[in-house]
Parts: sequence; structure tokens; C-alpha cells
Amino acid sequence: MLNTFQQAPHAALPEATADEASRQEFAKSLKGFIQSTLLPGLGPVYQTRVARTFEREHGRPPADRRDIRTGMVKDLYFQHYAATNRIAQELLWESVSSSVDRQLPELIAKARDLSAGSAAQLVIPEGFQPPRYVTALDIHCMPGGYCSEACPEDISVGAVYDRGVYLYSMGYTGPNNDDMGRSVVNYLKRNMPGFKPRRILDMGCTVGHSTLPYKELFPEAEVWGIDVGGPCVRYAHARAAAMGLEVNFAQMNAEETTFPDEHFDLVVSHILLHETSGKAMPRIFAEAHRVLAPGGLMIHADLPPFDLMDPFTQFILDNETWYNNEPFWGAMRDMDQFALAERAGFDRAEVRFDTAPMAVMEFAAQAEGYSQEASEHVAERDFTAGEFAPGGGWEVLIAHKAGPRAIAA
Amino acid sequence: MTHPAPSDRPHVFRHARGKRPEFYETEGLDQAMSMIMVLASELCVVRDRLDSAERVAKAHGIDLAAGIETLVFDQAALEEREARRQEFMRRLFYVQLKDADEAAQAQTAEGYTRTIAEIAEQ
Repeated sequence: MLNTFQQAPHAALPEATADEASRQEFAKSLKGFIQSTLLPGLGPVYQTRVARTFEREHGRPPADRRDIRTGMVKDLYFQHYAATNRIAQELLWESVSSSVDRQLPELIAKARDLSAGSAAQLVIPEGFQPPRYVTALDIHCMPGGYCSEACPEDISVGAVYDRGVYLYSMGYTGPNNDDMGRSVVNYLKRNMPGFKPRRILDMGCTVGHSTLPYKELFPEAEVWGIDVGGPCVRYAHARAAAMGLEVNFAQMNAEETTFPDEHFDLVVSHILLHETSGKAMPRIFAEAHRVLAPGGLMIHADLPPFDLMDPFTQFILDNETWYNNEPFWGAMRDMDQFALAERAGFDRAEVRFDTAPMAVMEFAAQAEGYSQEASEHVAERDFTAGEFAPGGGWEVLIAHKAGPRAIAA
Repeated sequence: MTHPAPSDRPHVFRHARGKRPEFYETEGLDQAMSMIMVLASELCVVRDRLDSAERVAKAHGIDLAAGIETLVFDQAALEEREARRQEFMRRLFYVQLKDADEAAQAQTAEGYTRTIAEIAEQ
């Protein structure tokens, strides 16, 4: 299936010259090629070569993802796969960074103007200290990470992220990179039609990709996106304005927000938890519980736990930990999220995992490059470790805070 | 609005913090693979640009793509192209050809070291 998905332009988004656009398309195509064509070779390589060699050398078959890794890293096919995957990631950021660099002062000015035209709040406190788990390594190899500022009022890493993540996800999350948020909102609308949150908090929102659908589909709600990256929330605020949505953004740590108790009816996060830490994750659950009104919902859309997967699948996924600056990627999947939610104050019987079907189909034929066929292909895949986004839908952890089911209409 | 001088322009970050892993046992191969993929990327950029040139020309009434397909080469053009291909391959295999030349001239690493020592003699 040819992937011709194209990102929808908006006024804050960097523009690419023809050559820059070609470099970016190459990075996106290379990622697609690796996942569709190189990745499937790892299974047979493991079964017919690596597992047998391991057994000969150790007198027992590989038992877990660590054993599998020990054997695989010595295999040339795996080396080429992993090296090319890493290089694709580097080409991706380089293709976007050089494009953003060329137009950075203009992008900063544009973001400032867009933000100035919005009635929504943008809160950037003086002297904010981002936590070490986001500054120790530049997560997923994005130069600068989420927090680095090249100059006052900088939005550069936000702009790089907006374009880069589109290429990283190969357009699977829709023309506005918002499939995760949109899918969770769709899930709520379909499964809890009476749920009408007055205030919504999106934790770890980066540039607000997943935040905006909440405002779009719950227009009466007051929506807040928070993130530890100053340039990210600055860009997020401008991007929301560019897309005609009044959403508030603040530089804030999800472990310790400044919102009052019981302030929100819905607290969500999207691919946040795996970029935190073993110490932060319980604190984030506790903070979500604190700011939730009775009857409110906490929903984290992230990676499914390892205990549901076979060791080879775990090994493939854990490559991100080792090769893509994702230090918590593997360990997060070993966390008992039910226990965490319970310790945070949720009733265990009110905590569950579910699947929010991908919303990408909604874009079919409405956005550039999104054909019916290709969108269906993305939405209806089976889960394959090493491919971007689980086929079928996003894994969501849903916890209901004790109290009457929130704000039934 | 005043435009900052080029040296004052802010710049994006170019390196991701965190030690880069190595994938190959052969020293230098990680770097070589990266260079090969960068070149592959640029090749695609050039191919895209040629495709764009054909499409722009077509929009202006010149069917470059069809013209390219039906172009007939005269003897001079055939020779020019073949010479260019042979020259390209000679550059591509430079290190191997150098090796063969060294063998033919009996040039060795020992000989090279010996020369340095001899030249330095006072």
C-alpha cells in the first residue's frame, strides 16, 4: 500500500523548499520501508539463525527479551535493520531541523503574532525547572529535546516536533497529527454519550496535537494543555490559534500542577507516561486523582504492558529503549498500572484497559493524500511490534474517580 | 521590524543529547552506513527535482518526459555517455584500482615507512 499521506498546513507550521520537502519525504518513506519490508525479516532471522546459535552456546533456548537481544545484536541482518532505523530517525530530524533553521526568526515572529491574537491563556512561569527524565537524554533523538531554548521566546523545538512527528508517524495519526486525542474523544462520545466535561486537562501535551480535538468536540469545555517544555507550549498556543481554537497552555509538570483540587472532569495524556520515570509515574497518577472532580475520568493513552506480549515482541519494542533515546520505554511496560491507579486513590474495580479505535479513517478522502484504501489499511492492521501505532486502535487506561458518573446531561 | 544580522540569527539544535549506539563490529561501518543513507537521500532529492522539472515543463506545454523516452542518440552522444559511465565507475572503484596499481609498482606499507625513515636520515 503506497503511503501518500500529507500533513495539513497551518499558519505556525514551518514551510519546506522543494529539496527540503524531498528530504523529509525520503525520511518518511525510509521509515515506511523499514517497517513494511525489513522488519518482517527479523522473525525468520531469529528463528532459523539466532535462537539456534543461542541454544548451542548456552545449552538452553532464549528465555526472555534480554536473551533474544544478546543473540540478535550479533546478527548482521539485525545490525543493518537497527542501524538503518537509527539513521532514518537521524535523517528525519536533520531534514526538519535544517528547514526550521532557515526560517527560525520568521517562525518565532509568526508564533508570537498568532498567540497575541488568542484569548486563551499561555502560562510560562519564571525559573521553571524541567525534570531530569526529559533533559538527561533528548527523547527519541530529537535534537534539543522538549525544553531547550535557542533564544528568548523560542519555539524551535516545538516547530521541529510538529513536522518531525508527522514524518515519524508517517501520517498515520492524520493530517493534524491528532489521531490519539481524536480517537479518545470518539471513544468517550460513543461509549459515554452523556459525559460532558466542563474542564479538561491534557498532561504532557507537547505542541497540543492531541489536545485540540477535545476543544473541537467538547466546544463548551475549558481545555488546558500542560507540558514541561516551554518552547513546546509556546508553539502549541500559537498552533491552536492558527487552527482557530481557544485552548489554554501552560509550562507545568504533570507530577505537580498548580490547579486546585477537583478542578477537572477529564484528565488525559497521550504517549506521556513512557517518557517519564519510575518515580514520576505514580506521582502523575496521584496528581490526576487530586485534580479530578468526583465522578471524573483519568485516561492515559500509551503503550500496552509487556505482560500481554511474547518475548520476541517485547524484544522488538524494547529496541526503542536502546537505540532511540527512550530510557523508560521498556521499564514503563513492566509497571503495574492497576496498582498505581489504586495507590493514587482510584477503586481497582473502576480501572481498566480498553482500545480506542483509530480515527484515521475519518480523514479518508478529506485530506491530501488520505485515500479510503490507505486509511483503511492503517486503521485495520493487526498489531505488529516495530510498526508505528498498534493496528486496530490505541491502548487506553481508564480510571473512574469515585462519585456520580460525571456531569451526565 | 528590524532584521537581525545573519550572525545574530538563532539556530536550532543539531545533535540529540545521548551517546549514539554502534551497531556493527567493523570499525567505521556505522559512519559509512550513515553516509551511504545520506547520499541515497540526496539521490532521491535529485530524482524528485528532475520529476518536478518534467512536470513544470509539461504544464508549460513541453513534454520533457516523452521527449526523454523517445530521444535518439547519435554516435557522439552514445560515446559521450559511455565515456561518462566508465569515468564514473573508475571514480567509484578508486580505492580498488589504487590497490592494483600499488601491487603493480610493488608499493608496500613497509616501503612507505622505510621511505620516511630514509628521508629523515641526516
